Amino acid sequence: MSELLELFWAFARVGVLGFGGGPAMIPLIQVEVVDLRTWLTPSEFLDAFAFGNALPGPIATKMAGYTGYQVAGWAGAAAALAGIAAPTIVAMVVLFALYRRHRERDVVQRFLYGVRPVVVALLALVVWDFLPTAMAPAGLRWGSWPLWPLAGAALLLSLRTRVHPALLIVAGGVVGWLL
Amino acid sequence: MPATAPAAAPPPERDDGAALGDRLGGRLAALAVAFGKVGLFGFGGGPSFIPLIQREVEARRWLTREAFLDAFAFGNALPGPIATKLAGYVGYRVAGWLGALVALLALTVPTILAMVGLAALYVRHRDSPWVAGFLTGLRPVVIGLLVYTVVAFAPSALGPLRAWRGNLLRWGLAIGAFAAAAAFDVHPGLLILAGGLAGLLWRRA
Repeated sequence: MSELLELFWAFARVGVLGFGGGPAMIPLIQVEVVDLRTWLTPSEFLDAFAFGNALPGPIATKMAGYTGYQVAGWAGAAAALAGIAAPTIVAMVVLFALYRRHRERDVVQRFLYGVRPVVVALLALVVWDFLPTAMAPAGLRWGSWPLWPLAGAALLLSLRTRVHPALLIVAGGVVGWLL
Repeated sequence: MPATAPAAAPPPERDDGAALGDRLGGRLAALAVAFGKVGLFGFGGGPSFIPLIQREVEARRWLTREAFLDAFAFGNALPGPIATKLAGYVGYRVAGWLGALVALLALTVPTILAMVGLAALYVRHRDSPWVAGFLTGLRPVVIGLLVYTVVAFAPSALGPLRAWRGNLLRWGLAIGAFAAAAAFDVHPGLLILAGGLAGLLWRRA
């Protein structure tokens, strides 16, 4: 039982202290899992991270679930997942309740009028931060030029058709095999 | 960049979750399918799930673009993984706390199962060019999808793109926020706060 509480507590700290989305939380997870506790060795952690990146789904919760399972089985995975996800979801819902109660107010409308352009900028920043990983992967002897038309084709298809993004993602992976 | 919004915005969301159609069971099932898809196809690192969540949420008319932008703002201002925050938020709006739980589990459990179950297999095949090639090909697609998301959301946040001259404050905020974050690593929560304060000051006049 104390192990489950410890898992919940360790990943709750990661969830509450980690700003900037899942990938930004990896160093915090490493501190909790490898440095402060000896749940995983450094090389086990790196393997898990590399493997987690090859699988779909959010990386922070995958790392939490995997570590939890290694420490205490499925109950451990559940405790770690609850730790990393629950506190911030509760905070999100509380914020939403406040927003719903007050959003008709002029002051909230004016605030959001200024917030929305910033949010679009943050979305554009996601593109910017992800560009090097996506367009210039290391060690490709054929270079990375075919990746640009691939990105362009995905954008064009999204703009002109209603094709589901999941289909485009899988199609991109298949093109990657063939290249 | 196209002059008009690439796709028609869906009609406004119902404020009351109970008005979203279906009984509770139907809404929970829809949440499970929607976020299960996001979890299974959100390959290639952090941001790939954003276009997927947008698609599910718009196709099912759970949130308007403005409401999605506001949710993204909250999500960036709060700590924690953003995909799970958005899933919990959408789930709560559609079907209360149970909806939040279902959306979270649908998003995370399948891939946690895969991670635990396939780890040994991965260690044996980690140097396989198949895995690397797959990821290499799908990441540029994620870039294309993310650019589409930015283009799709821009009119909600910045006004009609053709009328940019009338919306200089909003364009200035967006460009300034991007520059501040890209060049000086300014915290997104601070940028959101600054944007809101600028909105308060501007609209008072």
